[in-house]
Amino acid sequence: MTTFIELLLGGVSLGSVYALIALGFVVIFRATEVVNFAHASLLLAGGYVTAVLSDDIGFWPALLTGIASGALVGAAIEFLVLRRYRGSDHSVLAIVTIGVDILLVTDLTRRIGTDVLAVRDPWGDQLLTIGSVSLAQTRVAALLVAGLLITAFLLAFRYTSWGVAMRAAAENAGTAALMGIRLGRVSLGAWAVAGGLAAVAALFLTVFPTPGLERATSLAALKAFPAAILGGLDSTTGALAGGLIVGVTESLATGYQSDLTFLGRGLGDLAPYLVMIAILLVRPAGLLGTKETARV
Amino acid sequence: MSEPAEHTAVRRRPYDGSRTQQRRFRSPAVPRDPRVCLWAVGTVLLLALPFYLDRFWLQAGLFAMAAAIGAIGINLLTGATGQLSMGHAFFLAVGAYGYCAFAGDGGDGLLGLGLPTWLAVPAAVATAGAAGGLFSPIAGRLRGAYLGIATLALIFIGQHVLFNAEDLTGGFNGRDVPPLSVFGLTFDDAEVTVAAVPFGAAEKLWYAGLVLLLCCGLFARGVLRDRPGRALNAIRDHRIAAGVMGVPVARYRAAVFVLSSMYAGLAGVLLALVFQRTVPDYFGMALSLEYLAMIVIGGLGSVSGAVLGAALVALLPQLLTRYSEALPLVSDPGTGGIAPGEASRYLYGAAVVAVVLFLPGGLASLTARRSSSTPGEDR
Amino acid sequence: MNHSTRPGRGRTRATATALAVLLALTAAAGCSSKAADGKDGKQGAGGVKTGDGVTDKTIALGALTDLTGVYATLGKSVTQAQRLYVKQVNAEGGICGRTLKLTVRDHGYDPQKAVAAYTELEPDVLGYVQFIGSPFVASLRQRIDRRDKALVVPQAWSAELLGSPYIRVVGSTYDIETINAIDFLMKEHGLKKGDKLGHVYFEGDYGENALAGSRHMANKSGLELVEQKIKPTDNDMTAQVAALKKAGVEAVVLSAGPRQAASLVGVAAARRLSVPVIGNNSAFSPQLLGTQAGPALEKAYYVASPALPIGDDSEGPSALASAYAKAYPKDTLDNGVVAGWTAASTYGEALKRACKAKDLTREGVSKALRTMDDFDAGFGKQDFTDPEAPSSGQSVILRPDKKAKGGSKAVRGPEESAAARAYEREPR
Repeated sequence: MTTFIELLLGGVSLGSVYALIALGFVVIFRATEVVNFAHASLLLAGGYVTAVLSDDIGFWPALLTGIASGALVGAAIEFLVLRRYRGSDHSVLAIVTIGVDILLVTDLTRRIGTDVLAVRDPWGDQLLTIGSVSLAQTRVAALLVAGLLITAFLLAFRYTSWGVAMRAAAENAGTAALMGIRLGRVSLGAWAVAGGLAAVAALFLTVFPTPGLERATSLAALKAFPAAILGGLDSTTGALAGGLIVGVTESLATGYQSDLTFLGRGLGDLAPYLVMIAILLVRPAGLLGTKETARV
Repeated sequence: MSEPAEHTAVRRRPYDGSRTQQRRFRSPAVPRDPRVCLWAVGTVLLLALPFYLDRFWLQAGLFAMAAAIGAIGINLLTGATGQLSMGHAFFLAVGAYGYCAFAGDGGDGLLGLGLPTWLAVPAAVATAGAAGGLFSPIAGRLRGAYLGIATLALIFIGQHVLFNAEDLTGGFNGRDVPPLSVFGLTFDDAEVTVAAVPFGAAEKLWYAGLVLLLCCGLFARGVLRDRPGRALNAIRDHRIAAGVMGVPVARYRAAVFVLSSMYAGLAGVLLALVFQRTVPDYFGMALSLEYLAMIVIGGLGSVSGAVLGAALVALLPQLLTRYSEALPLVSDPGTGGIAPGEASRYLYGAAVVAVVLFLPGGLASLTARRSSSTPGEDR
Repeated sequence: MNHSTRPGRGRTRATATALAVLLALTAAAGCSSKAADGKDGKQGAGGVKTGDGVTDKTIALGALTDLTGVYATLGKSVTQAQRLYVKQVNAEGGICGRTLKLTVRDHGYDPQKAVAAYTELEPDVLGYVQFIGSPFVASLRQRIDRRDKALVVPQAWSAELLGSPYIRVVGSTYDIETINAIDFLMKEHGLKKGDKLGHVYFEGDYGENALAGSRHMANKSGLELVEQKIKPTDNDMTAQVAALKKAGVEAVVLSAGPRQAASLVGVAAARRLSVPVIGNNSAFSPQLLGTQAGPALEKAYYVASPALPIGDDSEGPSALASAYAKAYPKDTLDNGVVAGWTAASTYGEALKRACKAKDLTREGVSKALRTMDDFDAGFGKQDFTDPEAPSSGQSVILRPDKKAKGGSKAVRGPEESAAARAYEREPR
């Protein structure tokens, strides 16, 4: 039982990190209807800055700089690349983000080289132990931070003018523009937010229990894709739900792999995708996504 | 590799009837169309290359041909019908391993049905098509981003099966590919001397690759130019309007998914024959992304675009590696600086971004523009 | 081909021209440089028989490495060590009166690029001092054995690669290394019959070959094996540790990468799973000692390695360490340097012997290698007479140590356990 609770908690905390990445992904999709395959590079960019600076200027300033640079990279991608393509087919835009991703990831991995960049975070390898169950403090922090950020975003979507503008743009871009909403600013903001969120997620992916940032860190974005989809691409709460489902599935599939050997070993990576396929078969727009109703 | 390319280039849009008409009236007045000459020279060159090039270049060319076949397939799906697929590598794997399973004789302890190899090729292609058909409940329901990410699942499933179903795939070490044998001619390394040049596997396969690519290109062009092509484009441009106009949208979407999987399967078979051994690492996500890059760079929705893009993406890393000593900025591996592998990734990442920005029709639109302007200059 | 818009005459003419040109070209192909010309077995300078890759002045060697992919850390160290070896040999006048020329190709762990790079270099080199990625070596095996017959030293210690006279693994393979590692745990850490032993391993040749070793050992010694398969992209070992703890393991074997080692040992320490962890030689890199897992690694982690560590006090390692640090002051000293150097010196010795036998052809070199039954590049003895067996059954047990050069020092010298000696591989 203890093992189960530990795996579950581990999954939930990991899932909340995935949810952060998925949230950024969803925010971009809502504002611009672009599927951002460059999310991996946003993650790596923010994480890289944090990790490199944390030795020199201390953890908190480094983290802030990391978040800022993640946001900056996101905004730059929007401003320099995607803005030029407005009006293109969305699947072409998705492929363009793949191109951007290849460029940025190649450059960042070249910089990281063969190093493992450790982040000097305040939590270290401490555990939080309640009864017989223990969880790494970094993971508790991840859970809290992700929870806070996601709540903040849900509120912001509902109550701030930025949120209203973004929802309006997602609803109907043309009408929103006519109502005086600056679509450019909305999409720029969305990309910046996504970059910042990715940087926060990158932090929690590179502290204990992982040794640090290295070239493969960006692959975590691959977990956020099914998270965003199975929650529903246009739903922010869906991103949270999807992230948690992916995290818990992965954690349980790994923890109980010796009981699941008939499916082959090493199921942890695959399980989230299987869950995603199963959900999509029943609900093609994801758990909380809006079903597309087309006007002809 | 480029003959179907130059050919389709002019009338890339099948419904663009006016230009076709115009050309038909003009052509008898032009005694020697430069395109025919170009085409003839191209053919001769392609046929003669195995006599001159060494194995490295032939192999690179074969990789490009296989890539071109696969790219034509994904261009039918993503380019012409607007369905984003990130699972193309999975179907390549089905083709490659399917061929091994059908043609293998079980001598290496792995599943092998021992079919004659010439029969194993269509069987493998059909299996890839069937795999595409199996996925159609999902492919038929999902659109755009949802489909793109759902097909990503295929990559993960594929990798898992390739590593774990050891009796079928040989696990991490892969399995040997039985050489293709058609009408008593075996495409293996046993050397046959033709005009004093020893013909090994690469030389022989070169011709098989050319024939396959030509057939695939012509077939796809037929599909795209005719009724189905127009239907597919209509689905891409406005799904609902297409449905209203009487296009059976769901059936077409499922069919094009199967067709594209079959193309991928054939590309997989050809690759397996060139590699002489299939290994699971190859069929990962990077491969799927490469295929998407190919069709964007080459030009969405056209056969020539797929072929051009495939040639560029497949040959670029090889060129850069081979001539890394002579290029500025690119350094000899292991001495610091930009490695050739990185340089080629920079280049093709940038190419994807730049092509969509500055050349929305891809490389194919360049040749189309040029060849449609040449006759004008003749006048 | 579709000439529906073209008058038939033009097409016929074009076809005829094409055919004529083709015939002419085919006839001319006889003069193509590809036309067969038995270039093997020429007599070169000094009465030495030479073949591919060898001229009177140079011996060309290839290295197929990974500098931009998953094994970049290993590839960089191995390649630089080999460049250093070549530089030193050339400074001393080369081998057989010829200078060595090393051509490096980076395949980024991509099968297509690896096969392409192999094919590119094949006509121009005598052999390959380095080939990272055993699936790729396996995929080229037929070609190497039947056609090219060039001596290849793979930088992968998988038993799958044994059995070819041309593909020669330097050092003990992963299965033997794992047996020696478990032997160490049983002798020094009280692991005994009936105990549970965890094994966390990578999917792929490396992990699964190591698994063959631990399964064998579990069978022979009555241990119960708890297997956990992971992927190279898994960096967080929390779930694995939870599973191992639940199973109640007494020790853990790790056949994965350095990052997994850091995570596993760090998490185990934090969760009070205080059991010894031993990794294969690829599961450690000195960079880890700078991370937060550093102290835990120094406390509970061991590494089994086929060779003495670079930080060892004996003559071979210390000479290499200082030469390498001088040539590449910015780069970390790790055991990849040892692997690269050992492979290059083995190759160099084979070339010297082939020269003495007046046969510097590919066949001559691999024959010369088979005469080396007691070769020591300074890091442990190697016996290359039997292509079916790894060149050594010995493993050194290392312990991470921040103060040592290269981040580790030996706690048990080169030793072949009785279990490893008695080990017989299942027939392939």
